[in-house]
Amino acid sequence: MKGSKTSLSQIDTIIGSLLMILALVASSFIVIIATFIAIRGILPFITDNNGLGSVNVLQFLTDTVWLRGTYFISTAYGAGFIIINTLYIAFLTVLMSFPIGVLTALFIAKVAPRPLAAAMRTIIELLASIPSIVFGLVGVGLFLPLIYQLARSLGYSSGAGSSVLATVFVLSLMSIPTITAVAEVSIRQVDESLEHASLALGATPTQTRFKITLLAAKSGIFSGAILAVGRSLGEATAVSLVSGNARSGPSFGLFETTATITSTLLQGLKETSGIDYDIRFSLGILLMVVILTTNFALNFIKRKVGNVHE
Amino acid sequence: MNNRKIKFSEIFLNGSVFLSTFLSVLALGLIFFYVISRGTDLISWELFTGNYHARNYIAEFADLEEKTYTMPDFSGDEEVYIVSRYGIALKQDFDLAGNGVIKVHYVHPQSPFNQMYSKEVGSDVVDLDAGMIFQRISYIDHPTSLSRNGAERFASELNDPQREVFEIFFSDLGGGIRGSIITTLYLIFMTLIIAVPFGVLTAIFFNEFSSNNWMTKLMRNFIETLTGVPSIIYGLLGITVFVPLTIRLTPAVNSNLIAGALTLSVIILPTIIRTTEESLRVVPDDHRAASLALGANKTQTTFKVVLPQALPGILTATFLGIGRIIGESAALIFVLGAAVKDRINIYEPSTSLAVHIWSMMTDEPANIALSSTIALLILAIVLIINVSVKLSVYLLSKKGL
Amino acid sequence: MIMNKVIDTQSLSLRYGEFTALTDINLPIFRNKVTALIGPSGCGKSTFLRCLNRMNDLIDNVKLEGTILFNGQAVEGVNADVIELRKKIGMVFQKPNPFPMSIFDNVAYGPRQQGIKNKEVLRGIVEKALRQAALYDEVKDRMNQSATRLSGGQQQRLCIARALAMEPEVLLMDEPTSALDPLATQRIEELIEDLKKEYTIVIVTHSMQQAARISDHTAFFLLGELIEFGLTSDIFANPKDKRTEAYITGRFG
Repeated sequence: MKGSKTSLSQIDTIIGSLLMILALVASSFIVIIATFIAIRGILPFITDNNGLGSVNVLQFLTDTVWLRGTYFISTAYGAGFIIINTLYIAFLTVLMSFPIGVLTALFIAKVAPRPLAAAMRTIIELLASIPSIVFGLVGVGLFLPLIYQLARSLGYSSGAGSSVLATVFVLSLMSIPTITAVAEVSIRQVDESLEHASLALGATPTQTRFKITLLAAKSGIFSGAILAVGRSLGEATAVSLVSGNARSGPSFGLFETTATITSTLLQGLKETSGIDYDIRFSLGILLMVVILTTNFALNFIKRKVGNVHE
Repeated sequence: MNNRKIKFSEIFLNGSVFLSTFLSVLALGLIFFYVISRGTDLISWELFTGNYHARNYIAEFADLEEKTYTMPDFSGDEEVYIVSRYGIALKQDFDLAGNGVIKVHYVHPQSPFNQMYSKEVGSDVVDLDAGMIFQRISYIDHPTSLSRNGAERFASELNDPQREVFEIFFSDLGGGIRGSIITTLYLIFMTLIIAVPFGVLTAIFFNEFSSNNWMTKLMRNFIETLTGVPSIIYGLLGITVFVPLTIRLTPAVNSNLIAGALTLSVIILPTIIRTTEESLRVVPDDHRAASLALGANKTQTTFKVVLPQALPGILTATFLGIGRIIGESAALIFVLGAAVKDRINIYEPSTSLAVHIWSMMTDEPANIALSSTIALLILAIVLIINVSVKLSVYLLSKKGL
Repeated sequence: MIMNKVIDTQSLSLRYGEFTALTDINLPIFRNKVTALIGPSGCGKSTFLRCLNRMNDLIDNVKLEGTILFNGQAVEGVNADVIELRKKIGMVFQKPNPFPMSIFDNVAYGPRQQGIKNKEVLRGIVEKALRQAALYDEVKDRMNQSATRLSGGQQQRLCIARALAMEPEVLLMDEPTSALDPLATQRIEELIEDLKKEYTIVIVTHSMQQAARISDHTAFFLLGELIEFGLTSDIFANPKDKRTEAYITGRFG
């Protein structure tokens, strides 16, 4: 009896340790990702790249042409404009999708009659789960021709419609469901008594929604925006289809072709090797740094803004 | 005065809410409308079972018996031309890229186009089947019939008793997505085999076996961080870690489906861990206590009492994982490449449905029609997955009451 | 007893779907007096209070019958201007619910929604309201601080100030001290005593002692009916109804 009990608890210890090993492996992936990409991404800067010479970090970070010239050389790679483009596009995307997404959430949570709200909630959830490649396809098939026509009628030239505007449209389309879904949940969780207090003060329902409900849901709404920014910065395939994959920049005009870190990562991937391949890992580091920095900055702002009255 | 100002701002604010909602619904409705309107034309059984790359054949008749075949009535079909001399019917049609082609509409069971001698190395007998495409037919002492001259002329030349067929050039239609469907199924299967047990056991460790100390907190944070990593970065992980690993351990010499599945496993792991943990957490502690009080140990309690109750949650996690696998494109482009294949081998590269779209959209010219059809397929699967997750959650909550 | 009725209800009944919450209530509220509504939980006293500024409109399936007169005018009916009514009848809730804004913005919220933008005017309104709510001295140096950092008692006085900033005629209070400690409760009670010089106050309370201490009139509700209404001193000294007596002497509730 006593013996069997000891063995039972021994089994627990063994199983527990085995499970812990699995958990350790699971939690080590992020470390593996960071380490391997960092190592491979730094190589182009510290080795001579099979005789091509090493890439200059400063030039890589500030230059305004990607792949200068016709063959692969170490001085061909400048990602400065790509960083600016990436942040610019993410900014425009938020500018466009944030108000639309939040106000749609407000409609669903506070204005729509219950059955309509339930239906819209389901649709938004469904849209948030649509793979990005589908958005890219719709961008190419629907937006590019429209933007091409628009640009032409305004007297601008645009490369078959591939442009900053097309990229922002596609990314906004992807961001709106995310923002709406997160914002809707936090709007619904707002303490009703705050809204009642506002109504009891003679404020109209509309004033209450804009001045009190949105204010009280601020923190959750902001989280949705942060998620959307993260998705915009990291989105690759859809962007690569509509950005035009410009090789120099930065591009601020809405009808100019552009390139983001991710679209450059994918550009020409089907036929490449050597330094041109390795340098993609350097772009990978850049992408991670940009995402982490943006996230950190936005969370900092959120804490600053959100904490004032909570 | 003030009242009018307030009225005006009311109208403006309400208007902005309605306008935004309208824009969201419109924009998102457009996606469905576009994919459905563009994608439904091509849906057919051949699309799902056919090869993507058209295969070419060269053949000659084996034994030719001159006779007139009784053919079915095709007078109702437009642009169908009967060649009664050989018992086939041709149709002027379009391929998946929208180019005009001559398609085989019907082949009589006794037609000499069955059981032809192949002139290629390595194969002896080939059949002409309905749905195949005529490239050209050359005759002895007569000019060759070319497909670009149209089906009508092609048929009348073939029907001409003066002409004796020398060689027949024909091909599959191509543009089928069987290969990408099989790849996607392989990826789903292999990824789930790896990620579900891995994720579930990890969740069990966190929820049942570990104490809540700084180390488990750190581990959880590390896993949670994975959800914020963009999928293209996972692609880089795949080519630096999993591709070399599989090349060393398996017969693979290049990027391969196993590496793809490993990469996808890391991608869906956080979702599976989180969803499983959520469902473990709602199992009442009484049940654990009751089992432990009966002398069972923690392992028995966990696997016999707790885990069965968490099964619905694990099922939800699996569904969510499948959705992610089907939709994933960027990571797989890196790990598997973007070359569409018809014969799938898990030790070789090939494309999933999502990557198939990307591959065609970056080709010149982009094949929007077929891309939309695949997109429609993906949307349908995602829809089904979402509805089943919702339904299972709904049914469980009902049962719980 | 010739007194000025601010509010008067005539055979007021209210149903939520099938459930009857109030039956045939005839209750006058007199100017510059404190009227306490007492009764066990679920007796309808809070529901009645919320009829007076039509907060019950926010609930689905509510059906109201009878008349509510405010300054002699009927306030019921879909066409009556709810907003105008709520400007004149302020409300303080059970739990302190300051908006997640600064102290100043909380008090200025109501006037601002009416389109008052002038900084000086707003400052005047806010200061006056905070003084009336006996909070000014405690917060005058930190008007821009978050209201949510105040103590519970201060928060509730802020909510009172917020309601006073609209210069209402009537102040409805729904168990305003139920979430507070005894010291904070005492301050609110003193405040109510002061406020009745300028305002008419209707207060729902769970505590009979509180009703006895601060009110001029008391209404006893039971199961959606108004059992007894009269001067507080009368109700507590010699209740006419057996049920009132039973409640007051603590035999149920």
